[in-house]
Amino acid sequence: MKNNIEADVRTDTGIKVAALFFAAMMFLAFTTDPIRTGTQEGDRAPALTGMAYNGSGWSTFEMSDYLTTNWTAGDAEGQWMVVEFMDTDCPYCVRSAGEVGRDADYFTKRSSNHQSHPGVGPWDGPIVNFVASATELDIQGHDTSRSEIVAFRDKSGEESCAGQSCANRDGPPHNFMYIDDIDQDNMKAWKVPGTPAYFLIQPDGIVAWVSSENTQETVFDAIMRLTTEA
Amino acid sequence: MVDQNVFLIAYILPIAFGLLLMTKMGDSLADPLNGLSPRMAFARGRHMLGLNLVALTGFAVSVHTTWITFKISEGGNVCSSATVFSCDDVLGNAQYNVDPVFGISWGLIGMFAFGALLFITNSVGKEPDALWAESYLKYGKLMTGAGMLLIALLVSYEVRMGKICQFCTMAHVANVVCLFGFWKAGKLHEDGLWNDNEPSDNVASRE
Repeated sequence: MKNNIEADVRTDTGIKVAALFFAAMMFLAFTTDPIRTGTQEGDRAPALTGMAYNGSGWSTFEMSDYLTTNWTAGDAEGQWMVVEFMDTDCPYCVRSAGEVGRDADYFTKRSSNHQSHPGVGPWDGPIVNFVASATELDIQGHDTSRSEIVAFRDKSGEESCAGQSCANRDGPPHNFMYIDDIDQDNMKAWKVPGTPAYFLIQPDGIVAWVSSENTQETVFDAIMRLTTEA
Repeated sequence: MVDQNVFLIAYILPIAFGLLLMTKMGDSLADPLNGLSPRMAFARGRHMLGLNLVALTGFAVSVHTTWITFKISEGGNVCSSATVFSCDDVLGNAQYNVDPVFGISWGLIGMFAFGALLFITNSVGKEPDALWAESYLKYGKLMTGAGMLLIALLVSYEVRMGKICQFCTMAHVANVVCLFGFWKAGKLHEDGLWNDNEPSDNVASRE
């Protein structure tokens, strides 16, 4: 009786390699619990980096510096973060700048009350840092620069934001950092389709809330709901 | 946790040893390896052992790289460093740590690739005179050759980031050594030396 020895060798080898692959997959499954990197709720937020203006000058910003990787739910020491994607020439961003500034001052405990929500007392939850990533949308008439970002944040200078003087935009000057994302690097990495877009990030870097997935809820309400739940 | 860089040594050694077996220097190992299998007395047997060893190491490095990628996604620091050698920065970069078409982790792609190479090297190692053996070696050469293009892409990512992932580099080295191994096996075929007729000098002199 003739046997096909060559086929046996390949079948035998195929089974052994498949078994090795299966063992490797089992090892990965039992020793890790990967979290998808992305910008949907429950994902790990992508990196957010760039040169940022803090009111006195430009310096390197890395979101990871503000995260507490070993944070556990309920730990009030961990600081949350709101990331705002905006364009200084986006009319809606200009209109909402006042509310964003008031939210930032309240949740960073810079201000003991919230002008838009006079009923709430001083914030006793975890600190929620705010950071804006200022981009330049590919829309005619949108032409930003670092000096315009500075003017928008500080409400100063002669720059024009969405057809009006940046110094006349709504609300007080902002106290949080503005990242130069004119090249849209961060915006593309975060897959932001338009501005303004807001992301609430847990202290461990997980996306807790996204404005585009919760159009009926404001940033203020989301922070109140999620930081107290956690 | 154990310093991950310690594992690098565990990967360098078998790759270096595998490369040694595939070169002329491997002839000096004919005697000690002869006890392992009679085929080791011949250059072809040692060549395939070396190729198997390198492919297996490439597979192990790929598993390790995938494991690091998954651990980083959990929020841990595995091999973070302030120096240019920081695989955390490379494998943790969501923009570059997956292939641009299917979004599959590069480590997982390495596992598939080296798994396929292992199948080829193991099959040919067991039946080097089979009719399909030469074709399989050509497939291996094509696969590792295509791997060079992917390596070029990944190195360009590292240059852009200004960081180097040591484990990824080790997998790249394994691919390059495998390419050399498949190329040399093809050359042995071309030169009519793909046989066990002529044991190396060491064994011949011993006999």
